[in-house]
Amino acid sequence: MLLYLARRLLWTILVVLVVMFVTFLVFFKLPNGDPALRFAGKSPTTASLAEIHKRLHLDKPFYVEYGYFVKNFAVGDDQGWPGLGYSYGNYVSVRSEILERAPRTLFLVAGAATLWLIFGVAIGVLSAVKRRTWIDRVAMGFALFGISAPVFWLGLMSLFVVWKKLGLTGGSGYVPLSDGIGAWFSHMILPWTVLALLYIAIYARLTRNNLLETLGEDYIRTARAKGLSERTVIFKHGLRASLSPIATIFGLDIALLVGGAIITESVFNIQGLGWLAFNGAITQDLPSVLGVVICTATAVAVMNLVVDVVYAFLDPRVRYA
Amino acid sequence: MKKPFGRLVALAGVVAAIVVATAAGATAHSNKASSIKSGGTLNVGWEQSFGFTDNMDPTGEYLGDAFGILDNLLVRTLVGYTHNADGPGNAIVADIATTVPKPTNGGLTYTFKIKQGVKFSPPVNRQVTSADFVTALEREANPKDGAQYAFYYKPIKGWDAYAAGKAKSISGIKTPDASTIVFTLTTPTGDFLKRLAMPAAGPMPVEVTKCFEGQPGKYTADLISTAGYMIKGIDEVDISSCANIKPAAGYDGQTILDVVRNPNYVKSTDPTRKNYVDEVKFMVNASNVDIYNKIESGQLDMATSSIPPAVLKKYATSSSKKQYFHQNSGDRTWYITMNLTQAPFDDIHVRRAMNYIVDKDALRQGWGGPTVGDIANHLVPDALFGGQLKSYNPYKTPGNHGSAALAMKAMKGSKYSTGNSGMCDAAACKNVLLVSDTRGVDPGMVATLQQDAKKIGITFKVRQINGAYPTIQTPSKNVPISERPGWGKDYADALTFFLPLFDGRTIIANGNTNYSLVGVTPAQCKTLKIGGNCTGVPSVDTQLDKCSVQIDPARTTCYENLDKYLMTNVVPWVPWMWSKVTRITSSNVTHYQFDQFATTPAYAMISVK
Repeated sequence: MLLYLARRLLWTILVVLVVMFVTFLVFFKLPNGDPALRFAGKSPTTASLAEIHKRLHLDKPFYVEYGYFVKNFAVGDDQGWPGLGYSYGNYVSVRSEILERAPRTLFLVAGAATLWLIFGVAIGVLSAVKRRTWIDRVAMGFALFGISAPVFWLGLMSLFVVWKKLGLTGGSGYVPLSDGIGAWFSHMILPWTVLALLYIAIYARLTRNNLLETLGEDYIRTARAKGLSERTVIFKHGLRASLSPIATIFGLDIALLVGGAIITESVFNIQGLGWLAFNGAITQDLPSVLGVVICTATAVAVMNLVVDVVYAFLDPRVRYA
Repeated sequence: MKKPFGRLVALAGVVAAIVVATAAGATAHSNKASSIKSGGTLNVGWEQSFGFTDNMDPTGEYLGDAFGILDNLLVRTLVGYTHNADGPGNAIVADIATTVPKPTNGGLTYTFKIKQGVKFSPPVNRQVTSADFVTALEREANPKDGAQYAFYYKPIKGWDAYAAGKAKSISGIKTPDASTIVFTLTTPTGDFLKRLAMPAAGPMPVEVTKCFEGQPGKYTADLISTAGYMIKGIDEVDISSCANIKPAAGYDGQTILDVVRNPNYVKSTDPTRKNYVDEVKFMVNASNVDIYNKIESGQLDMATSSIPPAVLKKYATSSSKKQYFHQNSGDRTWYITMNLTQAPFDDIHVRRAMNYIVDKDALRQGWGGPTVGDIANHLVPDALFGGQLKSYNPYKTPGNHGSAALAMKAMKGSKYSTGNSGMCDAAACKNVLLVSDTRGVDPGMVATLQQDAKKIGITFKVRQINGAYPTIQTPSKNVPISERPGWGKDYADALTFFLPLFDGRTIIANGNTNYSLVGVTPAQCKTLKIGGNCTGVPSVDTQLDKCSVQIDPARTTCYENLDKYLMTNVVPWVPWMWSKVTRITSSNVTHYQFDQFATTPAYAMISVK
């Protein structure tokens, strides 16, 4: 198992390096103008631009620039480890930007993931067990709504109704946990719900289909024939087997949302990693985008690893060597 | 392209008509002395990101909105402004200096005496001395500290030698004692006092800034204030050694800037700032819709943000909302730049014809109509000339809609107009490259220009670029025309327009701001790889040198004449709008005031319930 983990870890590092390289290449080749101009004022001079080029290593060839970035990333810069450089937008340390914004995104994703996993699987199971009843139809209707409703619309509507009209929650913006759990929760509950709604719908449909398929298997019939209770048949033998694909997609969804919950973060003014990536992309701020890309790539790799380990728990046939 | 634009213009026209008809007179609501009170917190929303150019480090920071914060709340200078709107807001007054000095020695020497009682905020806690100004200006001169407008201080004797590392100090700055500072210039500089009023020239304590040498954008969260406020938590920062200095909690560079009262501030030393509120919080918000919802509900009090059209209309037209709607001159010109080296704009007849043909009113309607700004009739906003060029309009057309007849008359004599037809009918007039941006307003602007130029025979090949500036700032790209540019003043002097925009000597390969290439020489064209016609390009370098040494009122007259000369004899632009700054405040704001220097709210002069 340890050997397996070490091998996966090495692969993770390689994947992150490749992703960094590709991102670097894309931004370097984009006709986005000279980043030094952003720090040279409204009336730059050749001398001031040369100074900034030197400072940002922009006077070096692409591969040397990339080398500097990898070196700083590995050994750290004046802001500590990992060294992620400074934003081309405002000259703020990207590391500090990531540290400031990561908890926002992680709380958002963790809360939403908990909701969609619990409700998605529960609705899926209910729907499968009560197949072709009104409960199944209502559940699948809800799933259809969740998939169809755009997140930005749901977000704005929920803010309008729940915050502005009813005053039930704290509205938009992020309140750190240090300001009190009540205020934090009050500001997170709407984004959690809105973000989770889409995934609840997807997970409910997935769970329902997988469970129905599993419940049609021979070993389920055998279990029933043995006289096991329906509860045991469904939860111990049916659900556990049908959860493997859910675990795969769950891991990937969480990882992708680390840098990808842009709309939710924008509508609810959470300003997490997705917002940083979005802003960085539209302002062609390479260091900020790279920072988020590294986070997302790392999250994808780590979650893949976690999923693989969870497989072993869900499916006794899986063993790692 | 025509039809959708027609609808767009019609729609914009209806919106603008409604806005104008009902919003007439909805301008600044301020100076209600009776409603002013001290205390409370001013909450300011900030759209998307602070957008600071140097993370608010006064040495390099060049964003106008940052000037508003630094100048009102954190950084006092030898001389400064009254934090008022319009003309009075641009007048220089003594701040840390005891008086505004008159230059001596033929305009070459300025001597300042420093007031006693002006202290640095915690944790420095000491009187500001003349040496602290030297510290700030040496940081400005040192290229490694990231200065972005160091060129304004180049007239100081010894500046260049210090910047080049050839001298250990700036020889033109002397401090005979702790409360006296003497500047010696190499050439008379009529606006030198205004240059000293910029935040980079405010005093800095060397015991802190030494820790940020060679680190641009780092003297920020630990900025030591001299004004009425300080960054929250700065009093808890340990400055006993550089290693111990940690960023104050009130500024994270990304989401919040929180300033609170500076306990070391002595009001009697400051004649201008009122400092009504106890605390000012600037909070970044991802959505302008959310910002204005919060302003309406009172969770925010104002914003540095684009205003959604529906919100603008609501506040401009509703009688109950008008009191929260504030408009002031932005001292910014929006213009169409024409490249003097590129056909057909290398012919002054064509450039003049363009000035006659463009429907400036339609361009403005596309931006939201008269609410957004005034039609520009010449280069520099009238406000910078004290309104003395208000009636000057060399390319006047009925209703500012453009005139084909006048344009065709101006075109006659052009080498691109065969047989004096008044039409630009040469091959060079077809498919002329027009560089545009991807802002919401750009498609409408491009359609207007295409429609207008076609009337005099010019057609465009449009290239929309997300972020067009880098392209038009590169002379070797040979961009003939672009509708993207806008330029705002740095301080209230026409030099801040003319020098960067028309000085041929400052044209550079990358980041060039003289987009029209006024004054470019054939030798420069060769070096900078500029194609096109580089011979005989008109230059105003001599006039620029002549004006820059003048002192008012001769200075203003000199620049007025230069503006007229450029408009008629060079014609590098089609100036079309002088934009206004619009701010919407919440019902919590009991007194609003505009700072004309920074063209931002005068945060030190605003009071809340």
